[in-house]
Amino acid sequence: MTLITDAIGKMLGQRNILEVVVLGVNVALIIAFAILVDGFATLGNLSVILSNSTPLAILSCGMAVVIISRGLDLSIIAVMVAGATTYASGIEAGLPGGLALLITAAAMITVGMVNAWLIAFAELPAMLATLASAMVIMGLFRFAILQGEFMLLLPKSNSAVQILTTDILPGISVPIVVTAVVLVATWVLLSRTIVGEIIYAMGDNFAAARLSGLPVRPVTVVIYVWAALMAMLAGLLISSASGAVDFRMVTNGSLLFDVILVVVLGGIPLRGGRGGLRNIILGVALIAVLRNGMTLMNVTTQTQDVIKGIVLLVAIATENFLNPRDIETDTVGDL
Amino acid sequence: MKTSMRKIATGLATVAALMTGQTATADNNIEGKRVIFVPITMGISLTEGWARRMREHAQVHGYTIDVRDAAFNTSIMSELLAKAIADKPDMLVVHNPTVQLLARQIRQAEQQGIPVLQINLQSNQSSTAFVGANWERIGREIAEDIVKECGAGSGKSGKVAVIPGQLTAADSVIMNEAAFAVFEAGGIEVVSNQASDWEPEKARQITSTVLQQNPDLCAIFGHWDVHTMGAGNAVNDAGKADDVLVYATGGGDAVTCKAIEDGILDRVWSYDADGQGRDAGTLIDLVLQGARNESGMMIAESPLKVIKGGADYDAGLCWKM
Repeated sequence: MTLITDAIGKMLGQRNILEVVVLGVNVALIIAFAILVDGFATLGNLSVILSNSTPLAILSCGMAVVIISRGLDLSIIAVMVAGATTYASGIEAGLPGGLALLITAAAMITVGMVNAWLIAFAELPAMLATLASAMVIMGLFRFAILQGEFMLLLPKSNSAVQILTTDILPGISVPIVVTAVVLVATWVLLSRTIVGEIIYAMGDNFAAARLSGLPVRPVTVVIYVWAALMAMLAGLLISSASGAVDFRMVTNGSLLFDVILVVVLGGIPLRGGRGGLRNIILGVALIAVLRNGMTLMNVTTQTQDVIKGIVLLVAIATENFLNPRDIETDTVGDL
Repeated sequence: MKTSMRKIATGLATVAALMTGQTATADNNIEGKRVIFVPITMGISLTEGWARRMREHAQVHGYTIDVRDAAFNTSIMSELLAKAIADKPDMLVVHNPTVQLLARQIRQAEQQGIPVLQINLQSNQSSTAFVGANWERIGREIAEDIVKECGAGSGKSGKVAVIPGQLTAADSVIMNEAAFAVFEAGGIEVVSNQASDWEPEKARQITSTVLQQNPDLCAIFGHWDVHTMGAGNAVNDAGKADDVLVYATGGGDAVTCKAIEDGILDRVWSYDADGQGRDAGTLIDLVLQGARNESGMMIAESPLKVIKGGADYDAGLCWKM
């Protein structure tokens, strides 16, 4: 088996093998849907795929940075809904959109800092800390701000909501522009800053990064604040588009699953230290195309979830087969 | 699951009992009795409206209503109901998320002598009483309206997208069965039938995709007004508000009327959650006093209100918390 995987590895160069497999699957899906599904290969549908995948892409940028550092943020959807709740409550109280956004950003930065403190200073495992904080955030915002309501409807006639859904140019909406800016910012953070270098170092070998004197605690704060801000942006776009802030997005759990799916499928290993913008785009593209094609084929939502789960399992199994764990990759703390 | 003639007769008998105040065996002193209400979730106008009216009845008669909130979590709901049965209340009020999920526990409660009132969403298991909408009638009436607006002779495509909450939820199962029979006879083509998990955002994404594939879509039939608002927003964002009729069902609170005023929804079959809460309170009073229907369930069917946009719009059809 090693011979086979080595041969495939050499054939594909030094690239992440899963990345190449997912790219192949993506191309195959696009070709299959274009041939078999009426209305798939149209410019209009491309626009729908882009606009429907914008929140997922932004959330994935937040989650990818966390995972590359060998962390995990299970509170990202709760933070997303909490951000949308704060913004919606602000504009409902008559605040101008800009001020509501500032207050929301300040609140979400605080949430990100609390997450980071739990992980970097209280030294709780990221998975458990963010799972617990998701519950706290959900309960706090639902009961303190929404007085127990599960949902807040947003008036699309309000200019502070309208601005988040309008088209800047025909076919190019504010969410698409925001997503493009977020993707570029993620690339800059990971590839063009010292913080990015430290994030990769933490993911590669956290103990070595800390022992060598890298500022892992301040960088952990940057990582979780970044994730919280990405969640906030995604929340604003989702709630403005659908006209509702909906806490069931946290309890249903399917969006969190999609975000982790995107990151893993794109080729960013849960053990961290690898991956980048290309992987995020690849993962988002696969899920967006799969979801769009299945919706056009009138596949039920439940069946779509089953298919996405199978795709994740196949991807992980393929990666394990083509890229078996060794002393370098199979380290303590693997998920 | 069509309403049988026997159930209708039982319903009429119940209504008669409600009007005359006569009960099978009278035990008017129900003070101090305990009722446990297990809703799918609190925090939505539907269940908050029911709870408000039930509490008013409890206050009048001196019994208690204890609300156990499952917060949209079905596994928690099963546990809450199990705990509620173990607490041996004098009566249970259950809001079923699906036709199957709580059926066994409802049977268990009834076997232990705890009468169960099922509210608005019925399970496969019958119990002492049911109060709620006639989903067969709602599904059929909306489908007939869609056939009139989109079917042969209307000059429209006849294409319809259906957005249930969950395919196994009682309302979705019954409404789809009734509506699809009418659609088939009326030559309507259902181009999409995908559940939104009750989420506005999923309904929006489904609608934007379906509209792209079927730009001549004539109508959307959403099974709950709250998630259908996501679909209505997608229709508006696509600039098709004048071409696509958005139908929904719901409890008919002020938010529904606002959505119709804003052009997000076009026609809503309201089962008037406020009235349902009052009916539920009355049924609880009667059951606690010993009223039973020996030949089946006591049924109080909710009267429907059709809230339409345009010239026929009447804000007075909605209620406020």
